[in-house]
Amino acid sequence: MGFFRNLGDIFQILRHVFRQVMSRPFTYFYPFEDREYPERTRGRHIHVREKCTACMQCVRACPNVAISIDKSDKHYEKDAALFFDYTRCIFCGMCTQACRFDALFHTKVVDISEGEREDLLYGPDKIETLDRDPLEWRGRRFR
Amino acid sequence: MMGGVVLQIDFFAWLQGIPSWLYGVIQWIFGIVSGIFYWIWGIFTWIWAAVFDVANFFFLIRAILFPGLVFILMTIIFAVWFTRKLWGRIQDRRGPFHLGKYGGLQLFADAIKLVAKETIIPDKARRWMYRFLPSMLLLVVLIPFAFIPWDPIWFIADLSVSLVLVFAFLTAVPVVALLSGWISGSKYTLIGGFRAANNQFASEIPLIISTIGPAMLAGSLSVMAITQAQSNIWFIFLLPINVATFLVAAIASVGTFPFDAPVADSEVIFGWRTEFSGIYFTLTYFAEFAEQALYSALIVALFLGGFQGPAFLPGSVIFIIKFLIVFFFFVVVTSSFHRLRQDQIVYFCWKYLLPLSILNVVLVMLGIANIPALQAILGIGG
Amino acid sequence: MSPDILDETTEIWFGPQHVSAHGWAAKLTLVGDFVVECDPNAGYFHRSAEKCLEFRNFRQGALIMERLCMLEAFLAEYPYVQAVEKIAGLEVPERAKVMRTIMMEASRIHSLQFWWGQFSAELGLFAMLLWPWVDREFFLDAFEELSGSRHAVSYSTPGGVKYDFNDKVLEKLDIAIARFEDRMPVMRDMLMGSPTFRARTEGIGQYTLKQGLKFGLSGPPIKACGLPMDLRKDAPDPNLAYDMIDWEVPVTESEEHPGESDAYDRMVQRFREMETSVEIIRKLLPLVPEGPIVDPKARGKSNRLPEGEAYGRVEGTRGISTLWLKTTEKAQTPYRAKIRGPCFNSYYSLKHLVPGAKFADFIVVFGSLDPYPGWWDR
Repeated sequence: MGFFRNLGDIFQILRHVFRQVMSRPFTYFYPFEDREYPERTRGRHIHVREKCTACMQCVRACPNVAISIDKSDKHYEKDAALFFDYTRCIFCGMCTQACRFDALFHTKVVDISEGEREDLLYGPDKIETLDRDPLEWRGRRFR
Repeated sequence: MMGGVVLQIDFFAWLQGIPSWLYGVIQWIFGIVSGIFYWIWGIFTWIWAAVFDVANFFFLIRAILFPGLVFILMTIIFAVWFTRKLWGRIQDRRGPFHLGKYGGLQLFADAIKLVAKETIIPDKARRWMYRFLPSMLLLVVLIPFAFIPWDPIWFIADLSVSLVLVFAFLTAVPVVALLSGWISGSKYTLIGGFRAANNQFASEIPLIISTIGPAMLAGSLSVMAITQAQSNIWFIFLLPINVATFLVAAIASVGTFPFDAPVADSEVIFGWRTEFSGIYFTLTYFAEFAEQALYSALIVALFLGGFQGPAFLPGSVIFIIKFLIVFFFFVVVTSSFHRLRQDQIVYFCWKYLLPLSILNVVLVMLGIANIPALQAILGIGG
Repeated sequence: MSPDILDETTEIWFGPQHVSAHGWAAKLTLVGDFVVECDPNAGYFHRSAEKCLEFRNFRQGALIMERLCMLEAFLAEYPYVQAVEKIAGLEVPERAKVMRTIMMEASRIHSLQFWWGQFSAELGLFAMLLWPWVDREFFLDAFEELSGSRHAVSYSTPGGVKYDFNDKVLEKLDIAIARFEDRMPVMRDMLMGSPTFRARTEGIGQYTLKQGLKFGLSGPPIKACGLPMDLRKDAPDPNLAYDMIDWEVPVTESEEHPGESDAYDRMVQRFREMETSVEIIRKLLPLVPEGPIVDPKARGKSNRLPEGEAYGRVEGTRGISTLWLKTTEKAQTPYRAKIRGPCFNSYYSLKHLVPGAKFADFIVVFGSLDPYPGWWDR
């Protein structure tokens, strides 16, 4: 009988749903808990200025013209000031692959959202420093 | 007589009469004012006397505090929280968590946000009906709670036909839905309103016929009497199929998940509620949860023995525990099936639920007539 | 119904602000509850991808391609890479071939899991929206471990792949597949076992094989009619590893209506696709050879391409997605790139499939064809 087969199916579905109610939820409280990010995570960049040679390879590799360089701003022998525009960056990783002098890296910091659009234009001072450990934020230590 | 004009009145006497006339006018005005005053005062004293009359005082407490308006509103607020938490669990989420303990204050935050929103009334909407219908909907859904016997002593009203009255009020819900779909001035709301009417058209007959079984077993149409008749045995053991048909028909009547064609958000955007915003949306959404809570309470009263239970617990506590269990099942059933099309709802309700509920009525009639033991258990004269 | 009701038609716009119309709009003409005319509209999602491709060099172009359909990023970026490899004459290392194939199949599973959750939500079951998405998270974890990004992976590059497998990636991929196979019976019960699901999908959006070929459909909508039309088998790509192993093209032959497919058949077909993908991944994982992951000369060769034109194509999740690339002599960027997504045809076949259906079934027909707006608005 189709009716009784359907009834059996319905009870099977209710059983699955009931089991789901009893199980532990999958989600976590994102701003307060966070997961470990893998080694290759493509988060915001960090610029190591000592090693930079101002070769412009990152600027050429960028598909979205997010990087610009000011060559006149020199602290060391050959380096340059890097301006990063995170309103344009798509985190494709082309610039870090193009860099042959180990001067530009991705970090694990992925939550770089800001209230103001201008705050996403990272100047040389901001792109060279990592102001916080990625696992600590708002005074809380994440698991 | 002499010639000339003679004054017909005594001028000086008239002159002297003016003060007393003014006095009369002032007295007349004072009479009116004091009359109004005493009338209002009389109303106050009457209310005062009515309130502090012992019977009236306790009735008012029942109607306003427990199990009246405040208690019902708290119940529905809890029901909303419980539903959201349970939906979260079923969908592998956690549900509301951040406000209050376990997200208990989330609903208040949502209500504040929704009430603070701008009310946008569409150009083509009928303005006054648009303002009036959502509150009327909530009122219509809240009134039947007066007939739910939450406690053997603490109940609001017990009429001999309260079961019929409950359904009389609930029949108005899809009418309000259809009207609000009509007056919102949008095609989607109109389609949603007709779908709501269609839902009720499908589900109301099996719903009401499902309640005939307990009413016949108890020999009464009063919800209170039906509850009291279950002191020896709960009707769920006598009428197990009837409970299922009532539950499914109730879900179809409310219009939640497997039967949510009226507010199907992937088909018609939000059905008849599409154009409501702010406080009006809050009222309609609250009314849906109130209806779910009402049907759960009705199942407890009709089939699960209401306040009957172990003697060391107060009747209301027993009722509330049963209510929570039934509401849990209500939510689980509503969140595990795909949505049915509106013609399939009619087909399902009339092809499966209606024959099953009619079969139950027939079985109950045969049982009452032929099984003497049943009469002994239920305490009714054959 | 009286005749005058039948004469009155209602026009209703399904989209672009409709909840389930994400980037598209269709004008429906209703008579009562029946749709008599359906006019799908494209253009709400247009991002001028073809023009964008003309301003990116040959290593950057794949980034644009994968953003056409983020759900099948590994598959979507491949036609461009393949076309560039053909023009430049690049040799792909063996290791890169197998890794590409494995990740493309993983991408297919995760895309189909996304689709089936979304299809359930369109049918009003929100539990089944999130259960497959939870399982999908494990695939995304594996992608993140591999490439550093969850969706926009940018994995293939002309002449190989960018990121190498390591133990953690393989472990996470294993976890994802084990979880997928573990949850499969539950998902079967919740979808194919559900009476309400069968009631909503059986006989909805039905077309014959001949009609389907005429519409220009490909992928699961055609395989659900019983025709094993699959680029992976029919035209084995030398730069992919599908011919290294034995596998069967999954087809669905319905018993009630052979040679036709309805929404239910397409659902079943997509389940089989996922199982086949798991089988391919399981068979390929031990076959990953040692070696370089990218041709060392590829970087120099893909800077400037010789004059030529090439046609890249791949069997995507939703059908065959292709790209035609034309370059001029010593070009740094393409002269012209023409994308042909699989979903334009499935979207516009609604024009013939929907009339006669009920209004409530429109979204079921739409969802069962699985069109993604990114593929028709290039």
